[in-house]
Amino acid sequence: MKFSWEYFFATFPLIAEKLPVTLSLTLISAGFSLALGTAMALVNYYRVPVLAQCLKAWSSFIRGTPAVTQMFFFYYGLATVSALVLNMSPLVAVAVVMSLNMSAFVAESVRAALISVDEGQKEAALSLGMSSFQMITRIVIPQAVRVALPPLFNDMINLFKMSSLAFLVGIRDVMGASRIESAASFRFFECYAIVMVIYWGCTIVLTFLQRRLEKRCNAIYE
Amino acid sequence: MESMVEVRGLSKTFDGSTYILKDIDLSIARNEVVAILGPSGTGKSTLLRCLNYLCEPTAGSVRVGAVTVDAARHMGSEVRALRRQSAMVFQSYNLFKNKTAKENVMEALVTVQRKPRAEAEAIALRLLEKVGMLDRKDFYPAKMSGGQQQRVGIARALAVSPNVLLFDEPTSALDPELVGEVLNTIRQLAEEGTSTMLLVTHEIRFARSVASRVLFMDGGHIAADGTPEQIIDSPENPRLRQFLNFVSK
Repeated sequence: MKFSWEYFFATFPLIAEKLPVTLSLTLISAGFSLALGTAMALVNYYRVPVLAQCLKAWSSFIRGTPAVTQMFFFYYGLATVSALVLNMSPLVAVAVVMSLNMSAFVAESVRAALISVDEGQKEAALSLGMSSFQMITRIVIPQAVRVALPPLFNDMINLFKMSSLAFLVGIRDVMGASRIESAASFRFFECYAIVMVIYWGCTIVLTFLQRRLEKRCNAIYE
Repeated sequence: MESMVEVRGLSKTFDGSTYILKDIDLSIARNEVVAILGPSGTGKSTLLRCLNYLCEPTAGSVRVGAVTVDAARHMGSEVRALRRQSAMVFQSYNLFKNKTAKENVMEALVTVQRKPRAEAEAIALRLLEKVGMLDRKDFYPAKMSGGQQQRVGIARALAVSPNVLLFDEPTSALDPELVGEVLNTIRQLAEEGTSTMLLVTHEIRFARSVASRVLFMDGGHIAADGTPEQIIDSPENPRLRQFLNFVSK
């Protein structure tokens, strides 16, 4: 079977129309993982006793296991013991796993950014009588944001790609749609080429945004 | 007249047996300009940093202005009150990198002293002019030389109208040709005679000319204390003599 451009262009819109599913999964998980990851990073930064150690173990577990297994473990494994998971819609379940997974990576990116602000500036703030809350909100965080942006953007690109796992629990995102199309037409080459192009195109747009944002943030430091 | 700084029995140790500072007593009068000299690692900076609790002493009490903090029992609010009595100029300037020269000077006025922005800005501009940095008011630290950053650092310290100005080796990180501009700024302040200043420095000649009193620290003690003439011109302490011989070569 030759690669059919005709089929490619005809099927492209059918698959691309599922992009909102992929994007909303990504956006929702992005919001939760950024909030959760930042909270985790602050626990680590302030060395909150017990909690910091627990998060360290949690982070090691998340980063040491594949996202696919985490999703199966959660959606099929935990469902046998938890009614909450059992009654969960696949979309919510995937968003939960994506958020939990990515929060561990976000925590690491934010933590590294927080500790990148030198001790000297913090001492200067404290020596002037600023409270540690004022120090962190006015001096540390504004500078940490700039350091955190590139790795966080990479985390979000990974999250976007991770959303393709949703098809495994029956969600019709772009990946799911192309599986269904290809199963019906046997045109696997074209269908998966379409998904690749869609993901790649979106990532190029994200990377472009990343560059522009970084340039704006770095302007005052150069 | 009551002293401006009063230190009693101040000690700092990390492991209970190695003392960085050992049982220091020190009294500094209003408007005194005190230079602290001594070899590296003898506790000069630590002493200075105990005065604003950037370094927490193990024992003893510190009074600056009207606020006393005792190492044995102190609360965060006391430490902040103590810090508001002084301002520090750092070896590596430590300007806030996300703020312009003007914003650096304004920061504590707005956040700590809760002054209206317009008033804080007026003060900042006046002080930047005083240290000769008015034309750089909108520059971020990354766009300034070390000497310029340090002069902004001095303006930032002056802004809070501190009872005591603490200088922690303010010229040690500067390129040799930039040392002069910072020393001139400090000299100008010393000659006004309206600030109490503590200055940790390796610039012996500078200390000789601006200080009204010189301390020599050795091994966590104040080993000699006197006028610049006594300490620098006719040193009696053998360790001090050795130190001065070494640094003047």
